[in-house]
Amino acid sequence: MKHIQGSFITGYMTILIKGRNPELFFQFCIDQGITVWNIKKVSENACKGNVKLSDIDILKDIKRRTSYKLTFINKRGLPFLFKQYTRKKEVMVGLLLSIMLIFFLSNIIWEVKIIGVPKDIEEKISEQLTEYGIHQGAWTFTLDPPSEVQQQLVNDVPELLWVGVHQKGTSYVLEGVEKTIVKEEEVQGPRNLVATKKGVIQKMYVSKGLPKVQVNDYVEPGQVLVSGKLNFDDSKEDKKYDLVAAEGEIIAKTWYETEVTIPLEANHELLTGNRESKYHLSINEFELPVWGFSSPDFNDIHRERNERDLYFLKWKLPVKIIETILSEKRYNKIERSKNEAIDIGIQQAKNELQLQLGPDARIVSEKVLHETIENGKVKLILYMAVEENIVKEESIDQGD
Amino acid sequence: MKKWQQRIGPWLMNHLALPTDVMLELPRITMIGQIHVYIENHKGLIVYSDTELKLKTNKGYIQISGSSFVLKMMLPEEILLEGLITEVKFIPD
Repeated sequence: MKHIQGSFITGYMTILIKGRNPELFFQFCIDQGITVWNIKKVSENACKGNVKLSDIDILKDIKRRTSYKLTFINKRGLPFLFKQYTRKKEVMVGLLLSIMLIFFLSNIIWEVKIIGVPKDIEEKISEQLTEYGIHQGAWTFTLDPPSEVQQQLVNDVPELLWVGVHQKGTSYVLEGVEKTIVKEEEVQGPRNLVATKKGVIQKMYVSKGLPKVQVNDYVEPGQVLVSGKLNFDDSKEDKKYDLVAAEGEIIAKTWYETEVTIPLEANHELLTGNRESKYHLSINEFELPVWGFSSPDFNDIHRERNERDLYFLKWKLPVKIIETILSEKRYNKIERSKNEAIDIGIQQAKNELQLQLGPDARIVSEKVLHETIENGKVKLILYMAVEENIVKEESIDQGD
Repeated sequence: MKKWQQRIGPWLMNHLALPTDVMLELPRITMIGQIHVYIENHKGLIVYSDTELKLKTNKGYIQISGSSFVLKMMLPEEILLEGLITEVKFIPD
């Protein structure tokens, strides 16, 4: 019986043979290797039996060679059922529409959740999000990727220290951390002012405390600049101090040695602003172009790919929309002379140092100590003098 | 030559206990009560009707009579007959 197993899945038919000795038709079938089952003689000149759908070609061939009359009286199995359903157009259209509807609804944002921040900031965030186009009912694939939204939000809402944005199916979850502005801890009570760096003092503004150094003094790190111990009368032998919190600003000249290398030749790419977008539908590795078929008429192209996932209910579909932005780029080659390179190097070193020291520091002068040219690069060792505040507060340990 | 082959068949069968139907190419008929007959090694269908089935075999014919016959399955050299069987008969050539 295993020969007819699974015939419902592949489909089978009941055929009726008419003619003289109809059972011999089935004998022909068997000689050709067709499986026949449930053969029944209906009358003297008619016989019916079941055959598989896949054997229909051989069956027709036999019929042509013999003089029997063949009629199909019943068709059973999945292929016929399937055909029957597909013939009903309304059902198919309805099914397709409902799948499309679910698909569309799965790609709409249903909820924007903001957690971890107080109400007022939450409101601000949601206002910003609406500006970006992230709100209930927005299409997910028109939105920027979460990492970009994250960055934009942190830039636009100053109260936020960090925000984590992720998309969970149809809901957008934002997890924010509020920036708590911590004031720099000031040393309370009596304190001294000490030097943080070695340098030569240029200017002193002492509003409280007893200055221990003078202008043009050389100081070492840790040296007390302004003392909080006030001793008004020097003649007194007993050590009686008035303790105050020293306050002031000591500007000193400090020195830095930095090293920079500048290539004599530099290449960089510039985007000209001409760009085109292409859209692809990607299924696994295969990409099907949807929009933007023509290749752009510029030669040097910078490609940027954005992938957007599609969802069906909560499942991520294997199909993705890929947007490719093709921007025209231009190569720029710069050749510098040695002097130009040195200038650029100095400027670069200055910027770096300024960044390191903060906006209050002022670079007074710079001097090239050493310069070498190696492998098309200029190597500079620079010496820079900076005027900056070198004060650090240190509490006076009262001992007992 | 053929005679030699025909003679060696029964000898092998008796001395080596090989299955008879394979050795002599005879039909093997399995019956389940009166309702099923399973015939293997037949050489073709000659007559089939509601009450009769006649098959060709190596040496003659097999005739099965009864009523309400249905061929449940038909494969090359195999037939499963269902119905009410009353008689199985061998007709030599």
